[in-house]
Amino acid sequence: MKNNVLYILKKEIRETFRDKKSLTMMLIIPFMIPLLVIGMSALFESQLKRPIEDYNKIGMSYETNEVEKKIISKIGIDPIYDTEEKLKEKYDNGEIDLYITKRDNKYIINGNDNDTTSYAISLVEPYILAYKEYLQNEYLTYENIDSNNVINIITLEKNIIEKDNFFANYIVVYSFLFIIMAITISATYPATDATAGEKERGTLETLLTFPIKSKDIIIGKFLSVSLSSIITGVLSFGLTIISLLIANNMFDIYKNTNLMPSMVSIIFSCFIIISYSLLISGLCIAIASKSKTFKEAQSALTPLTFVSFFPGMIAFMMDIQTTAVLSLVPFLNFTLLFEDISNNNVNYLNILLMVISTLIIIFVILKTIIKQYTSEKILFSN
Amino acid sequence: MLKVNNITKKFIRYNSKKEKEEFYADNKISFTAKDGEIVGILGPNGAGKTTLLRMIAGILNPTDGTIEFDDLSFDKHEIEIKKNLAYLSGNTKIYNSLSAYELLEMCCELYDVSKEKRNDRIKEISTILNMDDFLYNKIEKLSTGQTQKVNIARCLVHNPKYYILDEATSGLDIISSQIILDFIKREKKDGKTILYSTHYMEEAENICDRVIMINKGVIIEEGTPSEIKKNTNTTNLRDAFFKLIGGIDDEK
Repeated sequence: MKNNVLYILKKEIRETFRDKKSLTMMLIIPFMIPLLVIGMSALFESQLKRPIEDYNKIGMSYETNEVEKKIISKIGIDPIYDTEEKLKEKYDNGEIDLYITKRDNKYIINGNDNDTTSYAISLVEPYILAYKEYLQNEYLTYENIDSNNVINIITLEKNIIEKDNFFANYIVVYSFLFIIMAITISATYPATDATAGEKERGTLETLLTFPIKSKDIIIGKFLSVSLSSIITGVLSFGLTIISLLIANNMFDIYKNTNLMPSMVSIIFSCFIIISYSLLISGLCIAIASKSKTFKEAQSALTPLTFVSFFPGMIAFMMDIQTTAVLSLVPFLNFTLLFEDISNNNVNYLNILLMVISTLIIIFVILKTIIKQYTSEKILFSN
Repeated sequence: MLKVNNITKKFIRYNSKKEKEEFYADNKISFTAKDGEIVGILGPNGAGKTTLLRMIAGILNPTDGTIEFDDLSFDKHEIEIKKNLAYLSGNTKIYNSLSAYELLEMCCELYDVSKEKRNDRIKEISTILNMDDFLYNKIEKLSTGQTQKVNIARCLVHNPKYYILDEATSGLDIISSQIILDFIKREKKDGKTILYSTHYMEEAENICDRVIMINKGVIIEEGTPSEIKKNTNTTNLRDAFFKLIGGIDDEK
């Protein structure tokens, strides 16, 4: 009887690998991941490494003295002098990035709240602070006071070790979430085809006349869908590693960070990907086999793509940490554990809990589908 | 021998007032089919033939009654029974993405035909049914007649003792129908038991040893074609059927 599982698996694999749509889902979607990794990295870097010429045109409605001119030049500001009204006009036309007006000893920075203004402010504030410090020094020297004792009455030193590169963590977790989504999409099509599709084409009735137990049919179908999603998952993961390595060498935002996961991380990540593939394959088959037609099954499975993605994304955004209890929660546990593993924090208990909970869920799902296939309702639900 | 005892199948359906009501597709049907016998199940569309044969093939579960193949029942011996059974209907669909050979190979595997004998068995059937020209072609590329040959071949691979053929010639052209009728005659010669449902009365008269007429889920007459014609004082099964149901108006 064990052989029957293999025969059904063989039949399902033949059907899946001969179906262009299934193959496309399985093999093409993973190739989106390098685009995502490189694209997001390029976007981050472009935001961080914006050329100073993009935001250094600062309007000034007052005359600057030699000291100010030196500071301005040192910071890289390109000053544009004019009246307040004309500066406002230039700012509105986009000719300058910000403008400063002066009332007695008060400097006023004018502009609207946008990206360019924020970058321009990051140039203007050091200029004003540096000039203010110069004036304070001048005054104290004039009063015969050691300026060092006043201005540096207390000093501040930052001793913060940068544990994680924010961008590295971000790109790694989002890559994983995309792998999850790719696996889900990859499982959806063969699961639909093997259940609702087979019912709609009328071949399920033929299959049920063979001397095979429902259990063998379902396990064969489950293994075939799992194989398809595991191929997508492993291919996606491989491409993720390659694209992370390329990004690591290509972009300065990952400077001093090693995006290449350790061998232990790779092994455990594959473990998580396989566990997820098995879970999602079971779920897809369970949902699709309730449907009467291919189209109905596809509609029923669409929300699963989002359900698989969101818990992990929200956990990452809210910085939720892995606990033993959360390791039991399907969908959430995969992302949390992957994040831990990618940070070289392998907690065997949490991984074991994830495996146990996943296996229990798969067992319950398969039991339910087998029961459904034993009943004539699978063919004649109307 | 096949024994069908008081088989009943009840469905729940909605009437015109959208209220649930019980509907008996088959009601207390009993008959036997001996080894080497072709038993025709005759009746109009909706008489309950397909439901009856689906229950006998183990696809539907009877609401009541028992079915025994050589004293084995589905409750305890489903796999053993199915190994000796072949089911073919006019609507039986096969896997289009496989080639005829691959489908037959899969059938051999599932019916436990030994690995050494599989290829020879497929080649043998292919020769009998004249399938050599398209044996390795994908089923989706085959004509209706060729597909029906593959479907018959599928039923033959495991050399079953019982054939359940449900309107197997329905909608087929004269050549494709003849392929099935020839197959039935050949298998009868080999001592196989064949249940053959059709609404083509003349076809049944020609090939069936015994006929069971069903209308509205119950048996209305049973016997050899000659007996039925004699009992109803008619010259053909079509007239016999109408006489038994009280004329065409009643059928309407």
